[in-house]
Amino acid sequence: MGVTCVCQVPVAEGKSVQQTVDQLHKKLEQLGAVKQGSFFVDCETYHATGNASGQPSKLLYVMHNSETPLSCMALFEGGPYLTADANFDVLMVKLKSHFQNAKGHKVESRGARYRYCDFLVKVGTVTMSSSARGISVEVEYCACVVPGDCWNLMKEFMQSFLGSNVPEIPSVFTSKPEGLFAPADCMDTMSQYLELFSKVRKQQVLPGSSVR
Amino acid sequence: MSGGPAVRVSIESSCERQVQEVSLDGVETYVPPLSMSQNLAKLAQRIDFGHGSDSDEEDPSRESRESDWSKQEPEEDGKFQVSLRKLIHYKIYSSSGPMKFQPCLWPWDSVRNHLRSALTEMCVLHDVLSVVKEKKYMALDPVSQDPSVAKTPQVFQLISKKKSLATAAQLLLKGAEKLSKSVTESQEQRRQRDFNAELLHLRSQWKLRKVGDKILGDLSYRSAGSLFTHHGTFEVIKNTDIDLDKKIPDDYCPLNVQIPSDLEGSAYIKVSIQKQAPDIGDLGTVNLLRRQPKARPGTVLIHFLISAQNVLLCKEIFAQLSREAVQIKSHIPHIVVKNQIISQPFPGLQLSISLCHSTVEKKNQRTSPDKAKPDDHLYVLEHNLHQLIREFHKQTLSSSVMPHPASAPFGPKRLRLAGPMAYDKAEISCLQHGEGLLEKIVKQAKHIFLRSRTARTIDCLASRIEDPQIQAHWSNINDVYESSVKVLITSQGYEQICKSIQLQLNIGVEQIRVVHRDGRVITLSHQEQELQDFLLSQMSQHQVHAVQQLAKVMGWHVLSFSNHVGLGAVESIGNASAITVASPNGEYAVSVRNGPESGCKVLVQFPRCQTKDLPKSDVLQDGKWSHLRGPYKEVHWSRMEGRNFVYKMELLMAALTPCP
Repeated sequence: MGVTCVCQVPVAEGKSVQQTVDQLHKKLEQLGAVKQGSFFVDCETYHATGNASGQPSKLLYVMHNSETPLSCMALFEGGPYLTADANFDVLMVKLKSHFQNAKGHKVESRGARYRYCDFLVKVGTVTMSSSARGISVEVEYCACVVPGDCWNLMKEFMQSFLGSNVPEIPSVFTSKPEGLFAPADCMDTMSQYLELFSKVRKQQVLPGSSVR
Repeated sequence: MSGGPAVRVSIESSCERQVQEVSLDGVETYVPPLSMSQNLAKLAQRIDFGHGSDSDEEDPSRESRESDWSKQEPEEDGKFQVSLRKLIHYKIYSSSGPMKFQPCLWPWDSVRNHLRSALTEMCVLHDVLSVVKEKKYMALDPVSQDPSVAKTPQVFQLISKKKSLATAAQLLLKGAEKLSKSVTESQEQRRQRDFNAELLHLRSQWKLRKVGDKILGDLSYRSAGSLFTHHGTFEVIKNTDIDLDKKIPDDYCPLNVQIPSDLEGSAYIKVSIQKQAPDIGDLGTVNLLRRQPKARPGTVLIHFLISAQNVLLCKEIFAQLSREAVQIKSHIPHIVVKNQIISQPFPGLQLSISLCHSTVEKKNQRTSPDKAKPDDHLYVLEHNLHQLIREFHKQTLSSSVMPHPASAPFGPKRLRLAGPMAYDKAEISCLQHGEGLLEKIVKQAKHIFLRSRTARTIDCLASRIEDPQIQAHWSNINDVYESSVKVLITSQGYEQICKSIQLQLNIGVEQIRVVHRDGRVITLSHQEQELQDFLLSQMSQHQVHAVQQLAKVMGWHVLSFSNHVGLGAVESIGNASAITVASPNGEYAVSVRNGPESGCKVLVQFPRCQTKDLPKSDVLQDGKWSHLRGPYKEVHWSRMEGRNFVYKMELLMAALTPCP
């Protein structure tokens, strides 16, 4: 588990989501990256029911990542976070009376996984209720866990295939009380994905896009 | 009397109530008894308030009368004496009771009353006697006498004395018995205390528990994480087979233990590496027995238990190994025969792991035939096996086990933390694929074998080849799978200038990695020949390198240098290397070719002017051409003086350098 940066890549003009993804794949392969299977990240939304105090209830997001296949992450937006084993899904079914699953809000990102030396690149299509909404790119530098030490390297690497779409350093790293030099963990990745998913959820449905 | 007719004779007190009047026909009229108030009034009348109580004065008179009566008794017949007295006594009391309270009418009243009552008594007595006389209704028996008073004859006296003596003796004996019993009891108690103390001592070192009326101990490593199915219990019993009368031997222990019969004796795991496979008929009969040290008496019990536990552990190791040997698929299958596991780490080499379990009885039979064999037991691997099984135990006894929710499915224990700790794929696969005991030990055996063979190869070369010297520096700290040795190739006397060949040999499990001084890495396989050839080629290169270094020191110029010469005879191992150096003034040149197999060949090139036998050329007429290099001449190297190659070369160079 290294330092991870998740960003959204806009769909190229005049092209479909799939075409843009293919283009990214091509660029990565030209770089010398090797395809290593596939990945998925999904996110389900739960409403808290029976909130008596009248406050707007916080949404609970339950996420899975193929990179940690035995784990299940539960997040509230802005914290707190929780990592549990796969039994957590069963538990959520049992807690039906407290947390209601918002069926239509399931978002997931699926795609191919590339390895380029110490870098792990995952290019995924973000889909929501079987319609493609965007493209996510996750870059992980496995050789380091301190974001402050390797951000520039990662930025340079991302420039090589994303061009001008390189994001700024993710706010998860900068907002930590310990600063940039706190070790990164899987929760940082998941909260970046969550941020991306909520951004995707709000945006308009892309015209003429559909799942492969 | 029983035979007589049923006539009842009752003798009763005469006058309970006072007779008022006796009529002519003999009917007595009684005075009706006084009521309580009448009685009280009567009593009150009697009281003379002028005097004290007069009843006190009456009593002595009555006493005296009684004594009078008793004085008269001896005059009567002795046989009737007692019964009569009782009778009369009774009469007097019963009659005088109510009369006592009667007022004194006149002074003789009491006398008269007594006389009258006496008369009545006499009448009764007369009646009784007359009845007795008839012998019809009553009989008189003599009053029974105390038999002890009777005089006993002497025989009886003797018998009784004897009897009483016997009783006394019995009493004494009983006392003595009680005393001796209490002594034994106290001794028994002391022994019981010893037993308890020993039990406590045993408990401090072994797990004991009470089941029913038995005390059971636990030999197994279950609490340490072992999953071996052998129950491994021993029973603690009290040692009672000792004679109390005899002196207690020094090594007596009130405790005794009973262990399962299959854990008796001593056992160890024998690990050995053999070159050639033994006959298949010999398999499974490995039984090398080590001498058992004689235990001191006080510690017998503990040693006994420790050795039993050791047997259990050895059995567990062997069971684990044989299970893995059957499960693991390898190119050359592992063979499990009886108490032996045979594996083939390298071709033509076999690793045998055998469980040697010896009970005391078998010891005498087996010792002789095995003595001739050299002991090829690898103690390091045996030790490592023990370490590995303990590591294995520790793994199962993970301290950070999560509580298991009731609704959760059962999964492997080790993966329990994978979810909450967010393990990624690599970590999970690392957790899932654990190497077995057998795989680990085979790897270790491979490494040990490779290391020892490397050492032997180097030593062999060092002793066989004298000229370039080989020094091997083994590192003391090794991993179980990797160790390293530094090999230096030098020439004697020139160690300071000939340091070019320094090799670091990293000996792994399957292969040897050689790291040169300049950073080149060569990987050699486990074959012995490869290492030998490599070292030989390095030694041959060393000679040429030494010449190069020497030339630098001597002020000669290096004209050409090649580690791998493409010309000349082809070497079977490696390549020949060559160097050509020119003397400081350029007149002479020395060319050295050194091959690992062909050996060294040294040629000296003379200046053209020094060679007389050259035919005059038509072209090279001019004198300046005489400075051209001349032909080469080979040096008879073996005839050169000097103890080694570099020394000889130095001498040669010195000879070819003109004196200034």
